[in-house]
Amino acid sequence: MSEPTPPLHGAAGSPEIEIAGAWTLNALPLLQAAVDAMEWPSAPVIRLQGQRLSDLDTAGAWLIDRLIRGIEERGRRVEFDAFRPEHARLLEIVRAHRALLAPVPPPVASPRPSALEAIGRRVWAWRGQTTDILAFIGEASTVLARSLARPARIRWRAVLHNLQTAGFNALAITGLLSFLMGVVIAYQGASQLRRYGANIFVADLVGLSMLRELAPLLTAVIVAGRSGSAYAAQIGTMKVTEEIDALRTIGVSPMELLVLPKLIALAIALPLLTVYADALGVLGGMVLAKASLGVGFAAFLDRLRNALTVGSYVIGVGKAPVFAEIIAVIGCFQGFQATGGADSVGRQTTVSVVQSIFLVIVADALFSVLFNLLGI
Amino acid sequence: MPPAPAIELRDVHTRFGAQVVHDGISLAVRRGEVFALAGASGCGKSTLLREIIMLQRPTSGSIRVLGREVVGLSDDESLPLRRSMGVMFERGALFTSLTVAENVGMPLREHTRLKDRVIDELARIKIGLAGLPASAADKFPNELSGGMRKRAALARALALDPSLLFLDEPTAGLDPLSAAGFDALVRDLQHALGLTIVMVTHDLDLLWQVADRIAVLGENRALGIGTMEELSRAEHPLIREYFYGPRGRAAWEQAWKRKSTTP
Repeated sequence: MSEPTPPLHGAAGSPEIEIAGAWTLNALPLLQAAVDAMEWPSAPVIRLQGQRLSDLDTAGAWLIDRLIRGIEERGRRVEFDAFRPEHARLLEIVRAHRALLAPVPPPVASPRPSALEAIGRRVWAWRGQTTDILAFIGEASTVLARSLARPARIRWRAVLHNLQTAGFNALAITGLLSFLMGVVIAYQGASQLRRYGANIFVADLVGLSMLRELAPLLTAVIVAGRSGSAYAAQIGTMKVTEEIDALRTIGVSPMELLVLPKLIALAIALPLLTVYADALGVLGGMVLAKASLGVGFAAFLDRLRNALTVGSYVIGVGKAPVFAEIIAVIGCFQGFQATGGADSVGRQTTVSVVQSIFLVIVADALFSVLFNLLGI
Repeated sequence: MPPAPAIELRDVHTRFGAQVVHDGISLAVRRGEVFALAGASGCGKSTLLREIIMLQRPTSGSIRVLGREVVGLSDDESLPLRRSMGVMFERGALFTSLTVAENVGMPLREHTRLKDRVIDELARIKIGLAGLPASAADKFPNELSGGMRKRAALARALALDPSLLFLDEPTAGLDPLSAAGFDALVRDLQHALGLTIVMVTHDLDLLWQVADRIAVLGENRALGIGTMEELSRAEHPLIREYFYGPRGRAAWEQAWKRKSTTP
């Protein structure tokens, strides 16, 4: 049995260094340590002996090449001896690519912007995006107008499909959440109302708050999370994989095929979902009213009829198409903003959900101010 | 005794529902050879490749890679095997959020404890080996042309110095000049690194110039396995059609000319 050969080995005073064993990626940390610890002979020509080199891969070849570079930088020459032809070839290839290792000058880093400059840049970017959104809305509107003039051009199949995915398939989650919302409102109100013996007013509380505010808002938030994000992800992926460009070259307008059916479908689906959420929210309040306030169903419904006007119902449902268009436009627009790869699709999807929920709530606030001014 | 084959398939069957893709394929890839899977589109070449690289399981049969059975191997068990395989996907499959150098360095970062600087240098060597200019290293994949993206994907496949290299349609979508460069590159790497290469390709030039042996798939099985010369004498009508169609003939003549001019 022979001793394991050290990977680098030179007899004292001899200009010969032996390279032995496996010089591969797995052994690289050890080999590097050996290279660093090596004491170099002072002869002007150093001979590298490769007879006992058993394995060599590009990582090992890189390290040997680094060794050679080190020797050459000290103004000495290197000779090779008894390397196997394939090892010599690999060393030659790595040597040929040395130029690549010259550190690439890092791109001139722009100095860290001052706070003022950062604000300016953000505002400028924001302004750019606002005009882009406006341009997108404009384009979508013209396509919509053109399609309405010739309804045969609208892709009804796609509209129906979107109605199913954004509307019908959302029934369960919307129903459950608005029912719970009704329960929560009634429950929160119950203790206050009981204190004044005004139990019956739970119908006013649940009815008005659900119909006017909460049902449209809740539904819009759910749909923004479910469908708005799906729109952004779908269009974003299509953009990144050049499917959008393919559509254009085939002569199909992506607006017409992808955006318009979503705008139309959501404008139909969201009001319907809102009505459904209204009903289930009130049902939730009713169930709790009976359970914890002792208000029976008949009494509750009787009171509801007095408490609610058609106006409050119409106001709630009337907001829904506006919310729907906000969600669809932002989802599609952010999808089209994706560039590059998977990363960007994810980012735009996030932005689309955050932006559409934000804008839905802002729109809701504006509606409140408007109705207040009009005295409705 | 001859050395064990690098890859050995025995009686591989694959079915997707009622659709039969492979109906008993057996073949062996020797160590150190360039082996090509050829055949018409949709004949199951890529599926076979995916089964060998453990992305898909065959319905039945045995696949041995470097002497280990891979059918039914768990993720943990397959890890050492995966480290000795490099795969270049047809469309590159580069990570779009990383630069080329980071893409190539990623397997090294995941599987070794090397310093960042060393990984970066090794990655740059691989990028050079794959025939990319130094300036490409710090670019993002979507800033590269299709051909450069393929080379970057090759560099990543070579990152861990695998002993097995799988190439899925390496020259598809390249211009003739780049494709010819790729032929030479594959040969060069195979010689220098002693790689076993398995590729799926339609490119007849690549088959003539680079492949040592070819398996032609069709009718759900391997119609013929052998060198180009052997296959070009095969009788099976599908093989003859594949090699003696107008394009096949042109590639054949060119290969013949090149062989007679270079002694």
